[in-house]
Amino acid sequence: MRVLTLAGRRLAASIPTLILILIGVFLLLQLAPGDTVDAMMAQMGGGDAATAKQLREFYGLDLSVWAQLGNYLWRLVRLDLGFSAIYGKPVATVIAERLPATILLMTASLSFAFFFGLILGVVAARGVNKWPDTLISTLGLLFYAMPTFWFGLMAIVVFSIYLQWLPAGGFEDITVSYTGLRRTLDIALHLVLPTLTLGLFYMAIYLRIMRGSMLEVLNLDFVRTARSKGMDETRVVVRHVLRNALLPMVTLIGLQAGTMLGGSVVVESVFSLPGLGRLAYESVIQRDLNTLLGIIFVSALLVITINFIVDLLYARLDPRITTGS
Amino acid sequence: MDMTRRAALMTSAAIASSVLFPMRSFGQETPRKGGVFTVHYGAEQRQLNPSLQASTGVYIIGGKIQEQLVDLDAKGQPVGVLAESWEAAPDGKTITFKLRPGVTWHDGKPFTSADVQFTAMEMWKKILNYGTTLQLFLTAVDTPDPLTAVFRYERPMPLNLLLRALPDLGYVSPRHLYEGKGDIRQNPVNLAPVGTGPFKFVQYERGQHVIAERNPNYWRANAPYLDRIVWRVVTDRAAAAAQMEAGQIHYSPFSGLTISDSARLGKDPRFIVSTKGNEGNARTNTIEFNFRRKELADIRVRRAIAHALDIPFFIENFLGDFAKRGTGPVPSVSTDFYPADNGPQYPFDKKLAAKLLDEAGFKPGAGGTRFSLRLLPAPWGEDISLFSTFIQQSLADVGIKIEIVRTDGGGYLKQVYDDHAFDLATGWHQYRNDPAVSTTVWYRSGQPKGAPWTNQWDWTDPTIDKIIDDAATEVDVAKRKALYGDFVRRANTELPIWTPIEQIFLTAISAKARNHSNTPRWGSSSWHDLWLAE
Amino acid sequence: MDLVKLYFRSPPAVIGLVLLILVLAMAASADILYPRDPLALAGRPLIWPFSNPRFLLGTDNSGRDIAAQIFHGARISLLIGGVATVISIMIGITVGAFAGYYGSWVDTALMRVTEAFQTLPNFLLLLVLVAVFGSTITTVTVAIGIVSWPASARLTRAEFLSLRNREFVQAGRTLGLKDIRLIFGEILPNALPPVIVYASVVMAIAILLESALAFLKLSDPNVASWGNLIGAGRDVLRVQWYVSAIPGIAILVTVLAVSLVGQGLNDALNPRLKSR
Repeated sequence: MRVLTLAGRRLAASIPTLILILIGVFLLLQLAPGDTVDAMMAQMGGGDAATAKQLREFYGLDLSVWAQLGNYLWRLVRLDLGFSAIYGKPVATVIAERLPATILLMTASLSFAFFFGLILGVVAARGVNKWPDTLISTLGLLFYAMPTFWFGLMAIVVFSIYLQWLPAGGFEDITVSYTGLRRTLDIALHLVLPTLTLGLFYMAIYLRIMRGSMLEVLNLDFVRTARSKGMDETRVVVRHVLRNALLPMVTLIGLQAGTMLGGSVVVESVFSLPGLGRLAYESVIQRDLNTLLGIIFVSALLVITINFIVDLLYARLDPRITTGS
Repeated sequence: MDMTRRAALMTSAAIASSVLFPMRSFGQETPRKGGVFTVHYGAEQRQLNPSLQASTGVYIIGGKIQEQLVDLDAKGQPVGVLAESWEAAPDGKTITFKLRPGVTWHDGKPFTSADVQFTAMEMWKKILNYGTTLQLFLTAVDTPDPLTAVFRYERPMPLNLLLRALPDLGYVSPRHLYEGKGDIRQNPVNLAPVGTGPFKFVQYERGQHVIAERNPNYWRANAPYLDRIVWRVVTDRAAAAAQMEAGQIHYSPFSGLTISDSARLGKDPRFIVSTKGNEGNARTNTIEFNFRRKELADIRVRRAIAHALDIPFFIENFLGDFAKRGTGPVPSVSTDFYPADNGPQYPFDKKLAAKLLDEAGFKPGAGGTRFSLRLLPAPWGEDISLFSTFIQQSLADVGIKIEIVRTDGGGYLKQVYDDHAFDLATGWHQYRNDPAVSTTVWYRSGQPKGAPWTNQWDWTDPTIDKIIDDAATEVDVAKRKALYGDFVRRANTELPIWTPIEQIFLTAISAKARNHSNTPRWGSSSWHDLWLAE
Repeated sequence: MDLVKLYFRSPPAVIGLVLLILVLAMAASADILYPRDPLALAGRPLIWPFSNPRFLLGTDNSGRDIAAQIFHGARISLLIGGVATVISIMIGITVGAFAGYYGSWVDTALMRVTEAFQTLPNFLLLLVLVAVFGSTITTVTVAIGIVSWPASARLTRAEFLSLRNREFVQAGRTLGLKDIRLIFGEILPNALPPVIVYASVVMAIAILLESALAFLKLSDPNVASWGNLIGAGRDVLRVQWYVSAIPGIAILVTVLAVSLVGQGLNDALNPRLKSR
């Protein structure tokens, strides 16, 4: 119950931010050259003036900017995200169709980055300044400095084109309609390269942080005490060090949720995944204002939710902090 | 070019033998029933009904589900589909279609002249791009009986023009699913189309795939052969090529692959890469000049720019065997209208270009630059992007500095056709079998501001306006062709737009496919005779 | 001097510096080694690296010399990275300083804006900005600066919060110094070191963001940028993968150099951490 009230309060506090973002982007897009009808004509590859005029009336683009903004906000109050110009469906439906791929990709990448960042960070810190540390730290640096999409492209060249181990793109194989476990496996196989591509950068960061905080914590008094009491090394690491070192990592997840959503635009485009990121890119190009605002709304909500979960986790990990503050 | 020769052989076979089994004379193969044909779908559209939107992105799907009154046969001549015969009154103002009996919609309702009437008046005349222009003077469609539709025009409509336009602009929609169902554009049927065609719509997952299955009640006997067609949405061209090689895609239409992948797959015996079957979808690469720039209003400068580009070099090194030198606004594949004499052609001659620029009074300044121009390349097509770089590189050699302005599709149309914020633009002109459909609007003055792919160059020429107007209502076939010859020569002389390269869309298809590419607009056609060998 | 000595004690920092000098040298020598326009038609398209002595790294699909583009691209990447970083840090410092110094409603309002920018996926905002204002090198650079300032604002704010009640600030106040003087003259110099170190992160990200934009074909086509080359190479990836691979390595090296130098500076400035 307490969590729910907290969540409600958090959401209420975020509303001004949300409205600020939506109005800002709405007004910004009014300055864009061309509107959704121009984009649609471009896509059709031909059309005449009468068609264009009709379409503008149809999409309500003949109204003034403020009337359009007013309409939008009024619809939003009633939790209506509007109608998508490209897809001819309610924006909520369009987003709901695309959300699973992105959430799956983000969860997989985050888990991958977190898990391997943690393990590699611990290994590196345990053998500080010896060869495993050097190797891991160097790899971490390389992954950090690499453009993600470039890694994706090169991974396609190696794993899909030359070795032919993994599919080059797509969410699942649709020529054969798999069900159940076989389908899950198929989707998992399609997500291996995208997950690596999006996750390696974050793994590099987590690894660095984990290594740093491990080194810091290992020198703290209570760890020394625990060690001198003869507790075995692994238990010290798991019980004391890990718990403390996790804090900065968890914080970072919250801070980077937005960046990661942004990164999925590029990764989804490299691997032609039907996710939110690619939808966002398409709706910018197509000037589909409703869809774009809807995505921004949903991704902002997503970022706020992740931050909320992070705060809860934080409180669990560090009893000194109370969630009330 | 082994592949092209093979495709050419197949065509001659197709022409020589009966329409149904053109392969018989070739390999003595028996058509196989069944199989799933997978198609690369590169650019998702907002809807799938070809009565509402004329574009290849709609035909590639909707054209299998819905049918039109008339299509083109292997020789590019009109052949009845939903219409069995047609006849024009001598004054050209009435055209009567006799419809095919015994045809039903996928939902079981019979197809009648009422459907044609509704589609023509409510969709072609009011909504369909290019349809609104084509049918501008259509006043009514009479339905004296369920199998007769009489089109009445205010001004003479050349039968020849209508029959060449209808394969693209003549798809019929079911009246009973649209009439009284609110706004036509918003009708959910547009995304789950119902037609009379060989395939029935099954499912559309945005961003992933579209599925259609065989229509067991199709009006042609023994057709179609395929069980299913699956269109896979793949936006990345390189990924599409990878999927073709992995056997996940059989067919990539309309130059869907990159130039280098097309060339590579063309050498692979598992695939056929050719322009065959796309003759009805010819396009020319264009350079549009904005006459609001005083430099470009000078014909010597426009001609100098044309002379400064080594088009054969560009074609040979960048586009490969699938493009050729363009000669004017009417492409050479348009046998009905291609003139014997195209007027001036502007061969590559850097010295002449420099001389023309000097004569026009634009002497090289500091660093050899005479003046700078902003070039807007249309953001569709790898060739346009390569060509814009080539223009930049070539014009630098004659002292014209080019700044390339990159935009997305909406931005391009807005900046070129509405804001006129360009000096040079380069894109495609799509030729639609008759110059009156979508070609002459590029040259005719008086186009409303903002109308894409029309004369927005601030160029007015009473001579060409008169030729265009005369040709549009000329009922005599030979006289019309002659008028369009005059049109092409005038266009090439005045050069408001230069059309240096002619291309036909490329098809990349699995060698297992049979009866493919056998009509000039095969990618858009219904595929009722397409089958897959084992 | 101590700082320099500390810096050179760390091998990664030295490697970073060497790499950075290498990239700077490439940028500086571009006009001498490749005096022609790097975007000019140099030869037949798609010549493989090392197969023609005239084009050491081959040519791309527009027949342009890849080596020339790599050298000239070093300038563009450093320019975009550098200028965008300056813009981003300036916005960040200003916002953070005012928020941290004044507190109360100023802080609340500025932090709301910062939060809005952080909640909105930054690459999405970048796409919108470029779609709206066009793909020229100026707009791309400014846009990258605009989307990447919030972290430095938060950093500056935190420093200001801890510094604003220190004795030297109080003393300044009693002397009757103006707020602006206090903020930029007294507190900022003390708050700057961590922000400067953070600038290396911003620069690395700025270079990566430009390349991602170019990959989506949304960057300025009139300059020889590494990202543009990767984007062009995407069309020929299956066979001529080197067109994308070579500029990717260039970006990797540059970002690596910038990060290592930043890390080295950080360690040198915080000797306590380094001594471990």
